[in-house]
Formats: sequence, structure tokens, C-alpha cells
Amino acid sequence: MPFLSHGSYRIRYELDGPTGAPAYVLVNGLTQYSELWGAYRAALFARGFRVATFDLLGQGASDKPTLYISQDDQVGALGLLIDELGDSPIFLGGVSFGGLIALRYAIDHGGRLSGLVPMSCFAELSPQLLLLGNALRTGLILGGTSYLQDLLLPMNLSDQWLEPLLDKLDTVKRQGWLVNDVYALQNLMESFLDFQPLTPRLSAIAVPTMILNGEFDFLTPRSVHETLRIEIPNSSMVIIPKAYHAFTLEKGALTADLLARFAEDVLAGRWQGNQAVWVAPEEPGGELTPFPAGYDHLRAIPVKRALP
Amino acid sequence: MSGFLGPLESDGRIPPHQQTRVAAFLISAHGALARQSALTVPATLESGWQTELNTQLFRETEIVSLLIRATSWAPDPGLGYMAVGWESAWYPAPVHDIPDWPLAMAAGLATLAHAVHAAIRPAALLPTAANPDDPFVMALRHIEFESGRMLQTQIIVLKSSTLQPHRDAINSALERRHREVRKLWHDMLRSVGIAVDGSNDGQP
Repeated sequence: MPFLSHGSYRIRYELDGPTGAPAYVLVNGLTQYSELWGAYRAALFARGFRVATFDLLGQGASDKPTLYISQDDQVGALGLLIDELGDSPIFLGGVSFGGLIALRYAIDHGGRLSGLVPMSCFAELSPQLLLLGNALRTGLILGGTSYLQDLLLPMNLSDQWLEPLLDKLDTVKRQGWLVNDVYALQNLMESFLDFQPLTPRLSAIAVPTMILNGEFDFLTPRSVHETLRIEIPNSSMVIIPKAYHAFTLEKGALTADLLARFAEDVLAGRWQGNQAVWVAPEEPGGELTPFPAGYDHLRAIPVKRALP
Repeated sequence: MSGFLGPLESDGRIPPHQQTRVAAFLISAHGALARQSALTVPATLESGWQTELNTQLFRETEIVSLLIRATSWAPDPGLGYMAVGWESAWYPAPVHDIPDWPLAMAAGLATLAHAVHAAIRPAALLPTAANPDDPFVMALRHIEFESGRMLQTQIIVLKSSTLQPHRDAINSALERRHREVRKLWHDMLRSVGIAVDGSNDGQP
């Protein structure tokens, strides 16, 4: 199990694939751990990519600072991993909290990246997101990691995914419960206490950016992704049909295919961001379709977009 | 060797020799916290965060009482020697950079309590096949659950405005306590045949 050193802390990472190949670096969400990208590692490796994943400070097998975790340190740890990859093209993807860390890296070190994929991501805490975050933190404090998982599973995954697992949810939750500690999760959550919105700095991101948002994500809804689409010049937004906040877990094959296609298009010079809005196919390999012209992609019902 | 307690007995119970050593360690740690809490709680509370010390006193006492009754004890000749080492590790260690002595003592106690409640996760030792109705199994789950909640007591104390000016000293003392507690816990687990990744024991 290899580690990087960030100051006095150790960062556990995994790196697979041929040296010199274009690389995907994937950043975990708050309650995740590196192994959850296993399916992506296989899928992207098969498409010729190198894949790097790691446990953020406070997660899994990385060190868990005792009282404070700074988001600057998370960005620093991500930078160390990217430095390990040499000069090959780097595509950076992150989900939720990990997407936020990826955005911060892209703002400060965008020149090192060939592409960026924020998934279920946000640049600022809307009132709803702030209050949901506070409630989840209270849930963690009062009920522990298991209760936090109990809240997140039905919020972030579909009935279709949950139904066959209803009688074995304890098994689903167990590994995350084992590797993530209450105090470390709380420190991760409390790294938002002095959070400054990234929105004013998003326009500094010049790299091709594909924003992925689940159709039914109500933890980070379309409106918070819209901020990214509007502010990042060379971006497009792709809506994942019938998906919730944790679509990277639920629809791994589809998401990995979208990641690979995005990187292939960028490397081939075919990528056109245009701040467009697309709808992803339901299955890997299907066609992306433009969001219907004239309709408002921020609404759940087909409402004609207001004319400028 | 496995990372979990066992092999389990036929009825899904944890072997008594493992119960004995794990319970003895937890009683030693939580008993020390109970004693030190009793001595640190002022007769009259002057700050809001001091209410947490009172809570801690009774939660620690509950854990000791629970373990005494829920454990299937077995003779353990090695226990006396180990217990001496544990007890000496729990000695009060005031945070010396804090000039206000009672505050330094309270901060030192909070660092020990944070380390015990955060670094020790007894329920994570339970294999999935452990009998959920066994008192010892249920006690370990209860202790981990209550530890998570009591952690808030320490976090409130350690991040209180009173201690903010001493943030670096607090951090340093806390990380040292975590290292000490984690090493003792891991050594004890290895002594009952549990595989522990101790590569990180020297780290904060």
C-alpha cells in the first residue's frame, strides 16, 4: 500500500496503468474511500488510461488529523499525487466534496490539467446545502457513522439500486463504517466552517470541463451545477438520467464511459464545451443528446425557457 | 491472524480470554477518565463547556459498570503486568503551555479523553458472525456508540474560545495522546492474536 508524505501526514494512494499514458485522477466524496473507484480503475485501464485514486486526509488508510483538517491540505495532497504522474496528460475528476477539492486544484493549478470533471459538485453553500450539511453533521454527532450512512443511502441512491439490497444494507455499509472514523468525518465536515465560496474564482478554470449532475440529485441540485456551467468558460453540463447524488456508485459503467469519452475527445481536439447542456444516455456507449432547445433545464417540468 | 476478535465460540460469543483482556483495557482507560473527570469538575460550574465534564464523569462510570457485568472473565496471568503499563499511561498530563493550571489540567484530560474515544473502536473488532444478543458484543457496540457522542464533549472543550489561544499546544498534546493510546490499544490487541496494521502508530 503506497503512501505519499504531506508534511507529517501520510496519504494512501493507488496508481495503475502504463507510465506515460493519459491519466485520470479521481477524488473521493466525503464518506468514501479509494476502493470505491475499483470499477473505474478497470474500465478506464481498458480504455488505455492510467488511474490514480487516494484517500483524502481523514479518510480510509490516510492519516486522520485529530482536531482540524484544512481543505488547503487536501488540495496539497492532491497536488502531490498529480506530481507523481509525470508529464502525461492529466484528467481530474471528483465527486461531491472531492469535486470541490478538484475545483480548487483546477483554479490554482489548471495549467497542469488537460480536463476537469466535477461530479455532483458545488462551488458555494446554498442555504439548502448549508442546512442539509449542518443536519448531516448533527446526525453524525448524535448517531455515529452508521446513522449518517442511513441518511445518505436513501437520499443519494435510487429505489432500483436500493430495493435488491434492502435486507443486506448492513453489509453495504460495513466497509465504509470500518474505515471511516467519526472524529475524522466530523473534522472533514467542519473544514467547511470557514469555507469561502469558489464562484468568483471559477472563471480562472480554462481547461475543458465536463460537469456531471444526476437528474434527481436533491443534495446538490441542478442549480448549484448551473453556477459551474455559467462561470467556467469551456464547460458543458451533462445530466445523468434517473440518477441521484451518488450516481458514481450506482452508474459506474456509464460514468466511466462518459469520463473516457470526454478525455478521448479532448485529446483528439474534438471537445467543444460551449457551456452546452446535454443529456447522457442511459447505458454506456449510447448517444448524448442536447437538452431540448427552448426548455429550461433548471426545471423538473417542461417549462419554456424565458427569452432573454 | 485476523483483524477481528475470534475465532468465535460455537454460540457466536467472543472467547473469554479475549473478552477479559479487551474489557480490562477498556475499564482501565475509561476508569481513569472517570476518576480524572471527578477531580476536574468544579464544584460550581463557571463556563458552559464545564457542563460537558459533568456529563463525561457519568458516561465513563457507566462504561466501567457495564463492562464489569457484561464480560465473561477468564484467568489471565499476564494482565497484572500489562495493567501497570496502561495505568501509568493515563497519568494526568496538563498542557504545560497553558499558564492557568486548572485550565491546563482540563485541557490535558480532554486530550486523553479525545484519544480514548476516537482511537479506540471496540465494535470494529466484532466479526459479522458475532452473536448480537451476547452481552459483551452489545456492550462493545454501546461503548463505541457512546464514545462517538462523548467525543463531542472533548471537541467542544478543545475548540472552545477559552482554549483557542493555545491551539498549537492543544494540537500537539492531542496528537501525542493519540499516538500513545493507539500504540497501547494495538499492543493489547496483538497480545490476543488480532492482526493490527501498526505502521501508522508513530504518526499523529
